[in-house]
Amino acid sequence: MPKARVAITGIGVVSPAALGAEDFWDAIATGKKCVRRITLFDACNFPSRIAGELPDFSARQFVPKTYRKSVKVMARDIEIAAAAAELGVRDAGLLTRSSQGETTTYDPKRLGCNIGAGLISTDLDELGSAVNTAVTDGKFDFKLWGESGMNNLTPLWLLKYLPNMLACHITIIHGAQGPSNTITCGSASGVLSVFEASRLVADGGADAVIAGGAESKLNPMGLIRQQLLGRLCTSRNDSPADAARPFDAEHDGTVVGEGGGILIIEDLEKAQSREARIYAELVGFGAACDPGGMDVTHPTAGSLDLAVERAVAEAGITPDQLGLIVAQGSGVAAEDLAEQAAWKSALGEAAATVPAVAITGAIGSIFAGAGGLALATAALALQNQTVPPTVNYARPDGEESLNLNAEARKHQIPYAVVGGFSIAGQSGACVLKRYEP
Amino acid sequence: MSRRRVVITGMGTVNPLGHDVASTWAGVLGSKSGISVNELFDASTFPSTFAAQVKDFELADHIDNPSEHRHAGRHCGFALGAAREAWEQSGLDRCDWLDRRRLGIYLGSGEGSLDFDNFTSLMIDAWENGRVNTGRWAELALKRMDLHREVEQESNMVVAHLARQYGVRGPAFNVLTACAASTQAMGESTWQIRRGDADVMISGGAHSMIHPYGVTGFNRLTAISVRNDQVETASRPFDMTRDGFVLGEGASVLILEEFEHAKSRGAPIFAEILGYGASADAFRITDQDPQGDGAAAAMRGALADAGVAAHQIHYISAHGTGTRQNDEVETKAVKAVFGEYAYKIPISSTKSMLGHLIAAAGATELITCILALRDQILPPTTNYNTPDPNCDLDYVPNEPRKASLEVVMSNSFGFGGQNNSLIITKPPQ
Repeated sequence: MPKARVAITGIGVVSPAALGAEDFWDAIATGKKCVRRITLFDACNFPSRIAGELPDFSARQFVPKTYRKSVKVMARDIEIAAAAAELGVRDAGLLTRSSQGETTTYDPKRLGCNIGAGLISTDLDELGSAVNTAVTDGKFDFKLWGESGMNNLTPLWLLKYLPNMLACHITIIHGAQGPSNTITCGSASGVLSVFEASRLVADGGADAVIAGGAESKLNPMGLIRQQLLGRLCTSRNDSPADAARPFDAEHDGTVVGEGGGILIIEDLEKAQSREARIYAELVGFGAACDPGGMDVTHPTAGSLDLAVERAVAEAGITPDQLGLIVAQGSGVAAEDLAEQAAWKSALGEAAATVPAVAITGAIGSIFAGAGGLALATAALALQNQTVPPTVNYARPDGEESLNLNAEARKHQIPYAVVGGFSIAGQSGACVLKRYEP
Repeated sequence: MSRRRVVITGMGTVNPLGHDVASTWAGVLGSKSGISVNELFDASTFPSTFAAQVKDFELADHIDNPSEHRHAGRHCGFALGAAREAWEQSGLDRCDWLDRRRLGIYLGSGEGSLDFDNFTSLMIDAWENGRVNTGRWAELALKRMDLHREVEQESNMVVAHLARQYGVRGPAFNVLTACAASTQAMGESTWQIRRGDADVMISGGAHSMIHPYGVTGFNRLTAISVRNDQVETASRPFDMTRDGFVLGEGASVLILEEFEHAKSRGAPIFAEILGYGASADAFRITDQDPQGDGAAAAMRGALADAGVAAHQIHYISAHGTGTRQNDEVETKAVKAVFGEYAYKIPISSTKSMLGHLIAAAGATELITCILALRDQILPPTTNYNTPDPNCDLDYVPNEPRKASLEVVMSNSFGFGGQNNSLIITKPPQ
């Protein structure tokens, strides 16, 4: 059976830069610096106290009134995902259960969902207030916990923290009854979710899929884990806006962020027949693994080169046809070097000539939310034929540097490639093609 | 071009009934119970004092390089053991031309076990005026927390450990759709091979939620059995007296391979995967769709993908958790899909013996389906004594039964409404 062509028809963004696709593009294209001191909790004793934090965010305004009481069983990651999905669905002009009309654009069974998620951190105050009712002589008392302590937790406590709840809430809000998946592969999650969603649509398994990812590391557990890994930037707490420096010679660690990028991945012909706006066509995917990823203290790029090679080959193009590379750029020196070497290995000379961007300089590293935001950036860049700036990039590190610039550049972009990888060795890549009706 | 066929060439498992496939199958056919009083922590005052635990597992008994994986979490150790059995059985360890870039991995693995003592003592020691003082907490956490214990909680770490062990360079995914995860992983692996993204996939799942907050979470949801006075028989799928599932742990790994690839290296072939279906209830996070529409859609999807008719299914390995709701909804969904024929299909839940391995459940249950096909025998639903009028199908009560089996289905439904079904058949001739 011939494969269906697949397009991005909706972009839902919740990011430290802005909410919504249009404002997100304005902020990214103008190099807005969004990293600041953490205000969500008192981070004074953390070695890294800065982040890409969302300004005043709640999912309440993004979920239907009838569903608002469910927001209280959503961890922040879930709230972000629910909001990003709603923005994506609206942006695509899709009618779903959420629009509460008489009809929906697609048969609910033909609307899928595939959301990348991270390890959701427990709210320490919530669990702590229960735990501290079961303490004897300064120590946790299992017997007391079983008898009474645990009853201080709300019955639905566990459901706040299951990673599949990002997708589950979205399927409920939008009445999406097609295949639903949750990918948990760190920073590769978003690209891999869109990979799978696109394959599903191409094979005729769904008409459209709500796909991407979301995560927040802005909590003590999320932050401390990155700190223990030694990945965080601790030298620029006093100049947060300049701290995240992907690929720059002075990169000095990751700055965490929070957000989500959720896209509508749709059958191109069906999108055309409903006269939807088409941001870009998805024409090539690749996924790969680096067996060295298990040792997370030795950075690799997760065999990103292999994933990119595959994506480019599937797109049926040569690397010099690319007009944009959207790189991950964690800002950890060794990871950036491994990543730029991977791009070089996959694309050869084109890795140094094709304009590239990493949005982490502006908003920080958003892990499971990163891939969706990178794909959103690529799709918007294709629409605007503009390469956004890489915030805080001044000088290259090493011989294999990408073609990055701290200023926005007008450029002909027929194709763009996006790559993402987790520190544990999984990677994914996607080639997008400019849509010309 | 005809579509690429996907076969199973290796399987391995570590679960409450055994540390390999043979002992697990002997346990199932002997109607044994893997359930006992919780020995992993003091749960004596918890609403549920028992679980289906993996006992006496030593990684060194399973792999030659346990020290390389010394940081692996509990469930990851189980997965390394299961993977070794599967890999050796498949003969891939002796295949010198395997292209590692065409070898992928797609697991449904849960999060690693929490560093409970450190995590909990920090919340106590940094507690001030009704909340955690995060300044104090950070100061203590930086001293006490262990990098590896924290990192190994990421659910993609089992993928990373197995990828290291077998040199995987192809597509690598982890799905965590709660109780459906490893079924979804195997279904998606099948599609990866069919689409040509890989030739061989290491698939399956691993999970252990038998830790204090895992049991707490399920107890607060009132999802697990509290039959503390009859722990061995507490898991009672489809029985009138069922009162929830029994939390289990373990790992199962299967080698999925493109048929021609398997043939060309003379691999053992245990079954062929014919079809996979996935759906979402899109109903409520706390409840299944009471009509079973989502579950039915997954089964119908698998039938359509397999290109087989409903009446060709000879056995269904049920999700069959033993909760009031699941078993009734699943029964309803089977009737919706199979009509009158539903009453003629044997359906059983090996969770009655294994407990509920959560993310690892589906892969473990698929292994029992493969063995059922091989031996032409149906695994039983044990502890089935009192029929429930709302669950009125043939659940293969208490004893295994001889049967003539060609095509079988395995169901998994995740908390939150993600549903998956797989259909397999005997090896191609």
